[in-house]
Amino acid sequence: MKPLRRLIESRFWVLTVKEIGQILRNKQLIFLLVFPPTVQLLIFGLALNPDVQNLKLGVVDYSNTPMSRELVSALTANGVFQVDRAPPNEQILGEQVRRGEVTTGLVIPPTFNRDLKSDHSAEVQVLIDAVDANTAGIASGYAAQIINQFSQKLAPQSSAAIETQATILYNPGLVSSWFIVPGVLGLVLNLGSSLVSTATVVREKDTGTLEQLLMTPAAAWEIILAKVVPLFVLLLGEVMLAVTVATLVFHVPFRGNFFLFMGFSGLYICVGIGIGFLLATISRSQQQAILTSFFINLPLIQLSGAIAPIESMPRFFQILSLFNPLRHYVKIARSLLLKGSGLDVLYPEALALTAFAIALLAISTYKFRTQLS
Amino acid sequence: MKRILAQCRKELAQFRRDRLTLALAFILPVMTLFIFGFAIRLEAKNISIVVQDLDRSNLSRRYSEGIYETNQFVPVRWSGSDPLDALDRGIGKAAVIIPSDFNREITAGKTSTIQVLIDGTDVNNARVIKNSIQAFTRSFVQNQGLTAGTSKIIARTRLWFNPGRQESLYIVPGVFGVILAIYPSLLAALAMSREKEQGTILQTYASSISAAELLLGKCLAYFVVGIGQALFVIALGCAVFRIWFVGDPTPFIIGTGIFLIASIMFGLLIGVRANNRSVAVQGVASAGFLLALLLSGFIYPLSNIPFPLSLVTYIVPARYFIEISRDAFVRGTGWAGVWTAHACLTALAFVLFSIARRIMGRMQLPG
Repeated sequence: MKPLRRLIESRFWVLTVKEIGQILRNKQLIFLLVFPPTVQLLIFGLALNPDVQNLKLGVVDYSNTPMSRELVSALTANGVFQVDRAPPNEQILGEQVRRGEVTTGLVIPPTFNRDLKSDHSAEVQVLIDAVDANTAGIASGYAAQIINQFSQKLAPQSSAAIETQATILYNPGLVSSWFIVPGVLGLVLNLGSSLVSTATVVREKDTGTLEQLLMTPAAAWEIILAKVVPLFVLLLGEVMLAVTVATLVFHVPFRGNFFLFMGFSGLYICVGIGIGFLLATISRSQQQAILTSFFINLPLIQLSGAIAPIESMPRFFQILSLFNPLRHYVKIARSLLLKGSGLDVLYPEALALTAFAIALLAISTYKFRTQLS
Repeated sequence: MKRILAQCRKELAQFRRDRLTLALAFILPVMTLFIFGFAIRLEAKNISIVVQDLDRSNLSRRYSEGIYETNQFVPVRWSGSDPLDALDRGIGKAAVIIPSDFNREITAGKTSTIQVLIDGTDVNNARVIKNSIQAFTRSFVQNQGLTAGTSKIIARTRLWFNPGRQESLYIVPGVFGVILAIYPSLLAALAMSREKEQGTILQTYASSISAAELLLGKCLAYFVVGIGQALFVIALGCAVFRIWFVGDPTPFIIGTGIFLIASIMFGLLIGVRANNRSVAVQGVASAGFLLALLLSGFIYPLSNIPFPLSLVTYIVPARYFIEISRDAFVRGTGWAGVWTAHACLTALAFVLFSIARRIMGRMQLPG
């Protein structure tokens, strides 16, 4: 009982209670912790969807035979392409692609059926609007594959020499939100922890109560720690909220160890608080702090792999991203949730995060202390 | 009219004096252009792949070398027995397992099945990997003469507008939209909320200037600044990423003007609603960013956004501007293809203006 009593009577405890009371009374802060993360997770998860589905297909079927119709239905069978209109000739189809009314076109020549019956091979034309380079690449791959399969079915005597059996691991249904949501989890945590910690410090600076705190006999470390602990607990709550949204709304699997995940999240919260304190110490007013946070959070988020994969960035940005703590957290969140990886795989990222957390907290407390004294 | 011009002149003078905002107005857009323009690429190059060749015949070696020659995959060394471990550890993104009877089966005229394991964490690239391995296998079968006849149906695929499938052609015109959606509106919101924070707004309430004149004056000032930002960012983007107009540039030039007005009006509206500058900045940052980045079709096609949320995209100005911009730099249809986007932008700008005016008018002293 004795150490507990000593804790309750300590200055640190009193300061912590004061901070908790201040945070709970600050409706804007609580709002900031609950509302934006939920909305961000929902919008990111629903809107960022790389599916290649229901592409509008314009078909010019000069042949108009059962065989050509079969080819069209083979193309539309798995939902990638969807017949939108059937223009009478190629010129009109071209015009429709140009205006963006259809994204893909198929032209079947009049000799299609005749060619297939004889020994010739028939040629069909596939037009793809490649303004969206990524979708166009996947769509042309699908089209080639479907037409090839169709063509093989026509000549059953010659079966393919090599077949590939592709198995997609970790996300067999290729549900797009499973990729985006764990990334956004990191993004939300980063924004939440840095913004909230900046706000609590800057408010104290703005209202001048920081000077009052300095007049008390409390040491600098007590003031800082009393600020960090309640924020830390609140932000852990935010992680729980975000994970709940991810698993309940998006059905993202949680294959790894929950406590390991919370441990990593705790580590990242320290990084975020470090960033926030640093921002607060270098800026003079709340407005300045928010504007500078733009400068820092924008590259942190874009170079984290949360939205666009790191592997597809140019080499220079890939190397640069290694110095981004968020990149490591996003990697951890994805591996833990989807792959169920453990510490044996994630230790490099864990080490990197620890290093970032220590460095950022050390620099920001040092700066804070020099400002205090 | 005179009052509008006076308001505009006052606003520009204030803008020039504020060094921090002036710097932000030009540095932030350039930073965004470079980060978004260079770092957002959807399709991975140099995908690490593990090939486990259990056959070790000439044919299987040709197959695995062929995969590396596609320029899309890079081999990774994997000494373990189970390639699945390589994927679990994230060393490889895909694994190809060639069975030990590969050569035997094929020479016997039977079908040999190659197992391909793909890391599905990155959904988009899992599809890309699957397609390219299958396409490679098809061409391998053809090139090695392993099939009896040539394929019965040949698909001649033509990629329009962007035959090299350069992703920068898709991303950079979109980045222009995102930048011009956020930064001009950020400046406008700051200007409006500063008046409220410092209380100078009360003077305008008491003066004879009307809400519409005040808004139009501020809009005109930031329109001038916005044109500067637009010229700067677009010229830089064109030079760095080597893109240029492919058709008539007038729809783009006029569209940029209307879009700037719409995004400034959005900023003024936020500024009118917010009571201090930090709330205004946060409002623009979160609302503007989320809308312009996620609900504008900037990264993935708009048609992929599910139903109730897809309705929201219709009121996002950036959506229409990105359509105009992509048309100008990639498609080149001109007025015939994009005039509806101009009409929607004009309507949105007008609606935003009227809402801001109504909110302001309510606060003003009558007479």
